[in-house]
Amino acid sequence: MKLIIVSELVGTPGDQYVPAEGINVEALLEGGFIKQEKPTKEK
Amino acid sequence: MATSTYLTNPVVTVNSVALTGFCTSAEMMRVQESIDTTAFGQSSREYSSGLANNECTMTLFLTYAAAEVYATLKSLVGTRTTVTLKPTSAATSATNPVLTLTGAYLESLPVLTGSVGEMSQIDITFTGGVYTEVVV
Repeated sequence: MKLIIVSELVGTPGDQYVPAEGINVEALLEGGFIKQEKPTKEK
Repeated sequence: MATSTYLTNPVVTVNSVALTGFCTSAEMMRVQESIDTTAFGQSSREYSSGLANNECTMTLFLTYAAAEVYATLKSLVGTRTTVTLKPTSAATSATNPVLTLTGAYLESLPVLTGSVGEMSQIDITFTGGVYTEVVV
């Protein structure tokens, strides 16, 4: 699942978020700083 | 005479969130615990290096707006994360290193504090973690 930046405090909104070592991704999701992009189904 | 002035425009991140605009004070402390190795016959104390026990403290304005300070910290209590400080916002270099604590633990968070006529501020402390210094 791809992580996308929502808040400019984390990076450029819309860019993919790649967590560095030790980053608590769950906390970023709960805080609304990033979101998960669900993979689109192929037809 | 001082040749440089630091911490007037530092970069502060907690769990990769840039909190510089909410932070009024920050300090990262490298601590290497000492172990007393003094033996009989010695006339002065002697110490050896023990475990690292680093610490990072900061003062932040407490804001509850979406994706700001409270949203950054509320889910970090009781967990480990990464905290970075950089002396200035200029490019990272040997004279402007990124100081990082990886795996630093946030034990407590004041969830509401304030006084009449004052901005609400909180002091938080991250303890432990591995200290690194990035210069490139």
